[in-house]
Amino acid sequence: MMQQEEDRTPRVALVGNPNSGKSTVFNLLTGLRQQTGNFPGVTVEIKKGRMRFPSGKEATLIDFPGTYSLYPTSSDEKLVAAVMCDPQNPFFPDALIYIADVTHLERHLLLLTQLLDLHLPVILALNMSDTALEMGIKVNTAKLIERLGIPVISISGRKEDNIQKLLSEVEKTLKNPIRTAENVFFYKLSDGEKQIADAVRHNLGIDNPYRALLLVHHRDWLPFLQPQQREILGTIAETKDFQSLRAQVDETLDRFDRFVPIVRDAIQQPPVFPSTATDRIDAVLTHRWWGPFIFVAVMLLIFQAIFDWSGYPMDAIENGFGILSDGVQSTLGEGWFTELLTDGILAGLSGILVFVPQIALLFLLIAILEEVGYMARVVFMFDKTMRRFGMNGRSVISLISGSACAVPAIMSSRTIGNWQERLITVMVTPFISCSARIPVYLVLIGLAVPAVKVAGILSAQTLVFGSMYALGVVAALLSGWAMKKWLRTREPSFLAIELPEYRMPHWKNVWLSVWEKVVAFVSGAGKIILVVSIVLWALSRYGPGDSIALATEQAHTEAIAMRLDSNQTEDFVQQRRLEASFAGKMGKSFEPLIRPLGYDWKIGIALLTSFAAREVFTGTLAVLYNMGSEEGDINNRDENEAKATLRSKMKTETFSDTGKPVYSLATAMSLLVFYALAMQCFSTLAVVRRETGGWKWAALQFFAMSLLAYFGAWAVYEIFS
Amino acid sequence: MQRRYRTIPDLKINESACTISISDAALACKLTAMGVLPGTRIEMVRTSPFGNAYYIKVDGVRIALREEEAASILLEI
Repeated sequence: MMQQEEDRTPRVALVGNPNSGKSTVFNLLTGLRQQTGNFPGVTVEIKKGRMRFPSGKEATLIDFPGTYSLYPTSSDEKLVAAVMCDPQNPFFPDALIYIADVTHLERHLLLLTQLLDLHLPVILALNMSDTALEMGIKVNTAKLIERLGIPVISISGRKEDNIQKLLSEVEKTLKNPIRTAENVFFYKLSDGEKQIADAVRHNLGIDNPYRALLLVHHRDWLPFLQPQQREILGTIAETKDFQSLRAQVDETLDRFDRFVPIVRDAIQQPPVFPSTATDRIDAVLTHRWWGPFIFVAVMLLIFQAIFDWSGYPMDAIENGFGILSDGVQSTLGEGWFTELLTDGILAGLSGILVFVPQIALLFLLIAILEEVGYMARVVFMFDKTMRRFGMNGRSVISLISGSACAVPAIMSSRTIGNWQERLITVMVTPFISCSARIPVYLVLIGLAVPAVKVAGILSAQTLVFGSMYALGVVAALLSGWAMKKWLRTREPSFLAIELPEYRMPHWKNVWLSVWEKVVAFVSGAGKIILVVSIVLWALSRYGPGDSIALATEQAHTEAIAMRLDSNQTEDFVQQRRLEASFAGKMGKSFEPLIRPLGYDWKIGIALLTSFAAREVFTGTLAVLYNMGSEEGDINNRDENEAKATLRSKMKTETFSDTGKPVYSLATAMSLLVFYALAMQCFSTLAVVRRETGGWKWAALQFFAMSLLAYFGAWAVYEIFS
Repeated sequence: MQRRYRTIPDLKINESACTISISDAALACKLTAMGVLPGTRIEMVRTSPFGNAYYIKVDGVRIALREEEAASILLEI
């Protein structure tokens, strides 16, 4: 069934070089009708969308990562070669739209000529025609059509020019694909390459000689090859003494020699590149001194903005859920089902959605920086610094994104070509304090750090808060350094990155990027938080055998003996019930292990539950410190009031055996360090598993981070107590 | 023996020179695909703040290269 459905909707591929404006065209053609799916065999996600033709018919548009050629250097670039070489691939296109920047056409056609030699039906879209017009570049499309033998259309993604024309051209091509004639090739294979192609055709039945050649080039990693096929290709390469890299360079140069004259012939006024605004801006933004200084200032501004602006929508979401929860309670009355709805599901949903404003805002600002072209400069400036810690300039983007949510941040590491550098980036990104840690930090700091000024200016609380972020960054860099010492691969690593012209952000791209990241958070992290919230509710409501009933009875008797009023009695009973529940038993058995860090069994439960998702911590403590009856759940009361209540409850907690207060400065600091360093996010582990292709690295990350957190917290507890 | 070529690190700021070839095969693959071809003129714009990376211009395209990458591009004297 699925297969048939796939067959009915034609597939169109969108390909082109990086910085060709490809994603703008993709967003224009598909709008919000986009989805990402996993690509089989390679751990790369692929973006698909629906495009509608003027006739009303539809096609699936597949956005391929930008690449310069079919000889890839990073895993997202590999995707293009892997699909184009494999007609059986579920993403193999029925037609291709090739996006080229017409203002730099001389260097944008390499990949096109490679695709043409695979005899794929391609439409060439000359993007940025509006800029070309401004620069006085005149393009003779008729000549390009004639010389390349394919449809050519001038478009502008930003001005949305000629998009309808492009659509109808695509539809025409789908109906009647124009392929290069079977015996026509852009690149003439050398004699040695011809022999190789012949051998591949003979052995594997691959008729297209260029595809045969690519198979030999990429025999080690193409995901669709059988081990036996790999062996055959390897033998062919060996017997013909095939030098892959040498051949790639020769082919590339030959292709340039052939298409550059065609471009020069078709472009009537070859572009001159005067000193532009970009040069003047870069003179400051990438300046020896000003560059790093401005970067730090930009980062500080971003975080300031997040803390200043995201508070209001967060309060609104919490209040909204509070009202909803109260409404459910009053309409349904008391009972386990109401509790499941309010304390389990609604509390969980609120715990997810409350992070959305912050994550959206941070990714909005990152997307703007990326759209204007600043991020490429950051990569350039910090490449050396990051390499010292086993990473790549491109890792900076992942680490910055990690301060919102590690899930999309880890996915953004795909542009890093070198496997080791990418792996290290994936492994250390979760050390960066993400938005889920913020509420934990706020509660603990408010509890234990006095609101005094240090040196007369800085508040001590802000200082501790800032140092938690610094701790994350230092831990990330140092573990990167350690991993670099430990792993030693000799795989080549590249910086070689294009620094695009600065331009105003294209808002559609920005919004869609934010949307994509938020969806990644809600569907990735969100689902798990919801499940944990429900499981937690069940664990704390039910206990083994009739332990809960017994505890309730006993508590009532004791309450009468202690002459508690009705509210106090209710609190007391709830506390006892919790102690008798599964969660209580788990926390108690856990206590000896965490006692050296200064934690009691209640913190133990909170730690245990937040191993799945750390944002559960405050919610768990709210439940454990028995805020159910009087004060309301932390999630459905005015935030500050609820936190203050939680804080006052926490302050009066004492260890049952020694009678000393639980929340001393030492315990709070120890908890802070624990939360800053520990890997407490199932969703991140799931993404790490996917991106590294197995549980091995995810497991290592989990154990290494947890051990570091444990001993770090221990050390801090010892220092402060 | 006198070298018969220069590389990007030898260039002064704002100086430019034509490429002869690229010495490292893997890098040659990547750089030629980006349009750094023999015979194109490379202009040195600046070095990165912490050193070890170069900001160059090739036919109006701005590219950032690492020290090793920049040193593998052989330039005319």
